[in-house]
Amino acid sequence: MAACGGNWIRGSGRKEKKHMASVTLEHVKKIYDKNVVAVHDFNLEIKDKEFVVFVGPSGCGKSTTLRMIAGLEDISDGILKIDDRVVNDVEPKDRDIAMVFQNYALYPHITVYENLAFSLRLRKMDKEEIHRRVIQAADILGITEYLGRKPKALSGGQRQRVAIGRAIVRNAKVFLMDEPLSNLDAKLRNQMRAEIILLRKRVNTTFVYVTHDQTEAMTLGDRIVVMKDGYIQQVGTPQEVFDTPVNLFVAGFIGSPQMNFLKAHLTKEGSGYAVELLGAKIPLNEDQNQVLAKKGFGSKDIILGVRPEHTTVLFDNTQNAIECTIDVNEMMGSELHLHLSSKNGDRIIVRLPTVDLTKEQRSSLAYGNKLYITFPAKVVHLFDPETEASLING
Amino acid sequence: MADLEYFKLSKPQKMLRGIGSFFARIPQGIVNGLKKLAQLVVSLFKGLGANIADLFTTFKNGDWKTRLSYLVMGFGSCARGQWGRGILFFLFQTVFNVYMFMPNAEFSGCYYLGKLSTLGTVETYKQGRKTVYGDNSFFILLYGVLTIFFIIAFIYTWRVNIKQNKINEQLLKSGHKLKTAKDDLDSLRDEQFHKTMLALPTLGVTVFTILPIFFMILVAFTNFDATHQPPGKLFTWVGWDNFNQLLAMDSASYGDTFRHVLLWTLIWAFFATFLNYFLGMLVAIMINKKGIKLKKMWRTILVMTIAIPQFVSLLYVSKMFAADGLVNTYLMKWGWISSPLPFWTDPVWARVTIIVINVWIGIPYLMLIATGILMNIPADLYESARIDGANAFQMYRKITLPYMLFVTGPYLLTSFTGNINNFNVIFLLSGGKPLSLDLAGGAGHTDLLITWLYKMTVNDTNYKLAAVIGILVFVVTAVINLIVYNMIPSVKNEEDFQ
Amino acid sequence: MSEKNKIPEVDIVIDQEAGVIREVKPDKLRSKKGHERRVNTSIYVTLVLMSIIWLAPFVFLVFQSFRSYLTESGGMVNYLLPKQWSLDNYTWLLTDPSSDFLRWYGNTLIIALFCSVLQTFMVLSVSYALSRLRFKGRKLIMNVVLVLGMFPGFLTMIILYFLLRQLGLTQDGAVPGLILIYVASSGMGYYISKGFFDTIPKSLDESARIDGATRSQVFRLIIMPLAKPIVIYTILMAFMAPWGDYVFASYVAFGSKPNYNVAVGLYQWVNVNDYQGYFTRFCAGGVLVAVPVTVLFLALQKYYVEGVTGGAVKG
Repeated sequence: MAACGGNWIRGSGRKEKKHMASVTLEHVKKIYDKNVVAVHDFNLEIKDKEFVVFVGPSGCGKSTTLRMIAGLEDISDGILKIDDRVVNDVEPKDRDIAMVFQNYALYPHITVYENLAFSLRLRKMDKEEIHRRVIQAADILGITEYLGRKPKALSGGQRQRVAIGRAIVRNAKVFLMDEPLSNLDAKLRNQMRAEIILLRKRVNTTFVYVTHDQTEAMTLGDRIVVMKDGYIQQVGTPQEVFDTPVNLFVAGFIGSPQMNFLKAHLTKEGSGYAVELLGAKIPLNEDQNQVLAKKGFGSKDIILGVRPEHTTVLFDNTQNAIECTIDVNEMMGSELHLHLSSKNGDRIIVRLPTVDLTKEQRSSLAYGNKLYITFPAKVVHLFDPETEASLING
Repeated sequence: MADLEYFKLSKPQKMLRGIGSFFARIPQGIVNGLKKLAQLVVSLFKGLGANIADLFTTFKNGDWKTRLSYLVMGFGSCARGQWGRGILFFLFQTVFNVYMFMPNAEFSGCYYLGKLSTLGTVETYKQGRKTVYGDNSFFILLYGVLTIFFIIAFIYTWRVNIKQNKINEQLLKSGHKLKTAKDDLDSLRDEQFHKTMLALPTLGVTVFTILPIFFMILVAFTNFDATHQPPGKLFTWVGWDNFNQLLAMDSASYGDTFRHVLLWTLIWAFFATFLNYFLGMLVAIMINKKGIKLKKMWRTILVMTIAIPQFVSLLYVSKMFAADGLVNTYLMKWGWISSPLPFWTDPVWARVTIIVINVWIGIPYLMLIATGILMNIPADLYESARIDGANAFQMYRKITLPYMLFVTGPYLLTSFTGNINNFNVIFLLSGGKPLSLDLAGGAGHTDLLITWLYKMTVNDTNYKLAAVIGILVFVVTAVINLIVYNMIPSVKNEEDFQ
Repeated sequence: MSEKNKIPEVDIVIDQEAGVIREVKPDKLRSKKGHERRVNTSIYVTLVLMSIIWLAPFVFLVFQSFRSYLTESGGMVNYLLPKQWSLDNYTWLLTDPSSDFLRWYGNTLIIALFCSVLQTFMVLSVSYALSRLRFKGRKLIMNVVLVLGMFPGFLTMIILYFLLRQLGLTQDGAVPGLILIYVASSGMGYYISKGFFDTIPKSLDESARIDGATRSQVFRLIIMPLAKPIVIYTILMAFMAPWGDYVFASYVAFGSKPNYNVAVGLYQWVNVNDYQGYFTRFCAGGVLVAVPVTVLFLALQKYYVEGVTGGAVKG
């Protein structure tokens, strides 16, 4: 099913109007009574056909924002535009959106066919047209053989596809998905993730996707919006958010295993900077020095962040390495995840591929033994201990 | 209350602490309840104040259409093109004015309002063979109350009218379009669907419940009884006299009777609720126990007794225990007793019999409820307790009972207040008897407040006292509800259970 | 619990020195099984006793209904089984011109039918609105109903009687009058139905609304088909109630015998009239009333249980 510009489900032969489907949120707030603020000052411009993921821990406001876009929650303040049309007070059914719920929300008393046809029948569409669309959607999702069954006769994955199918037949401008994979087991989740990517290629419209799983966010999104406690922490492509997090929270949230955070000290030496921690001293590179100097930072205490996959493990003590003791050794197959503690008691996780290890090296990775780690300047992230903001990014 | 020392206390000491804290929480319950009431009153006044302030600002800032709407309801709506709404408002205003200020003094609102303070002064008298009707206190009260309701409705509608003017004016100013009549009708199926759904029921409840209750509250302050019956006689306001009579602390007639009846009502409600509750639970546990066969049959047998209309069961059983009823005649036949047992004639016997028969009526219901809940208790709670070494009784005390109490806490409360008003059981079983000369107003030793109320109404047509009793029942129920609601842990500790 | 899942009833001894785990069958095991058997037996005995006690009055009622008022005594006697089994009572109830029983039965049936339909409509509208629609006065309405419910219901009868009399709906018009009274305030009994509606996931509503349904369509097309159990429960309850109402029926139909309902009529026989003559006929009437209602109830038992346990569990 090739996508042809704006129309992805063919109508009865006539070409459908090409429509643009951007979503704009300006200063959108959600306040519940008794002054509980769920979403503070949300500003975002979602471009037409963009796949945007809202990601964050429970209670960060991502679902609430999605529901405001859908029209299921009132917008306390701010403006919401779909396609340059202000829709704050427009009923969900008139916003031309489709939504997939976490628990699928399939109508239990009717067949899958009727579930798919439901919205079209409400719009009093021609029977032939309804049939055509339903069959096409079922085809795309591979659920044609279930059309006669009722939802309770389907497995979780099948129900999920029906839920997506219901959204497809509508030809809506904006596709909203509220944690659609959270109710599936791990294996199914991986499978469906790939299918959603495929779906996106076929359906080719604007997607707004909510999840608490950062892996989903990274693999699916064109852009990610990281949220916490009702505030947007950072907006960027997966690569941007991974490489240049603007604060401690984003750095720690994205990437698995989590980034290591260590207390360190930034020292200014002439025109350059260096980071000192646990007996090691790492001079920073040109770009970093430039940014720091421009921002006028002097010597100060900082929190240093370095990802487990960016550390180098050494078996012998060399200059400028950090000495650690091994606490836990997790065998992951092609690599080991080692949980280390430094002399100060800091916990550090490192990833060590196993394929090139010698036998002595492997046996020396037992509890209590010593190990040494280093890392180059370019993988280092610097954060202010009080504001938690990145010193270099943002 | 995470007092680590608590863990060291011995069992009896912990129990004492528990009992102590229960009673300690009662005054707190009262205080919380009163606080909530006070907050309610304060917020009502605040709301009122805000509304009045808004009236002034709207007038100040409004345009001429808005201002004229203060006098002529619906003007603003019509002037802005919402003819449907405008005409409705105006019609309402006209009807109201006509009713209030009708020229024919017989039926106007003002007429009734005027007479409300005296409830009529001119008695009906006979002139020769003709009866000249004077004031009818009943209708004055009735229509007076209706008029007051009408006035309140009018003020409310007028206020809505002003509000709409304000909103519409601002909408037009900011460039929006106003809702047309078609929009309004459509929204009744969507945004305003709740209005469509609630319209008829609200009307029914207002006319058939709110209005009568309000009316009866007022009657409690009159002397409307057998000797003051319109249209022949007038009745009038007597202030707190009736309440004084009923709440008199001396041991003469009504006050004393009231205390007797109230005490029995509370005792009855207590036993009726808790006895049935625990016994029903016990039966449910017994039937539900592993290893008991034919569970469905036992349950069906008991459930059948719910199906049979209560009045048949109660009337029949009441006769069974009569002096010449089955129980007595067979007991005498078998030589166990020599004269009939005074089931219904001795006060204490009567009360016990009623409670016991009520157990017979109530256990099937409670068993059903308990069974439903028991089935929902996760089995692994019991399994882990068994591994820990608990026996059956301990498991009941530590798992079943707390879970049941948590889930049915609110139900117990409603059941208790329901039993306070359990008319059928008392009336059909004993008729409130045995009567006693010590008790006034025709009350008997097994009368509840509500059956006494019934007797006063039907036998004595003593409406004023009936109304007072009704109000007092309300007060008792409300107080209990208020206190207990602020005391039960189930509302607070939900997470402990999940 | 299948056999596989049963925890084996043996004692396990851990012998740390030998590093061995041994199974031991203690003597206690045998008495444990015996103990359980004893408990179960006493439960069975209790249940049988209970069944007898619970069913006894009805069995007696049926027996006594076969004791003719003509040939034997129609009042209270000191024996249970009729000396002669006769259908005289029933014949009198159903055919004798001085018996209003059929009229009463008919009245009650009409009232029950109207009530079951109209009340269900009222109650479901209110429960749906309060459960799934969000609007400004929602909490207020629930609290007001709570407060109103604390007043004894009979209190309102006094004035409603006058109101109804003005409209001619008392005495001879008692049947429509009673229907009006029962139905008008029935919306206040929304609690159990609301509890049921609360269990339907709100995401169904939301999904339908996004699909383009108005709230009215959501109600009709999505929620109502799922509400079958509670609809049946409500209809059942509404149908059964008028058969047992003495208070309101006696007040509204006061003095007009042909317009009584069965409860009032039978009550008169037992307590007001010379019950020495009417008792067995009361029994027969009771049987005629109880049988259809009980059969209906047993047929729909499942829904009743669901309603009661659902509502009470929600609290």
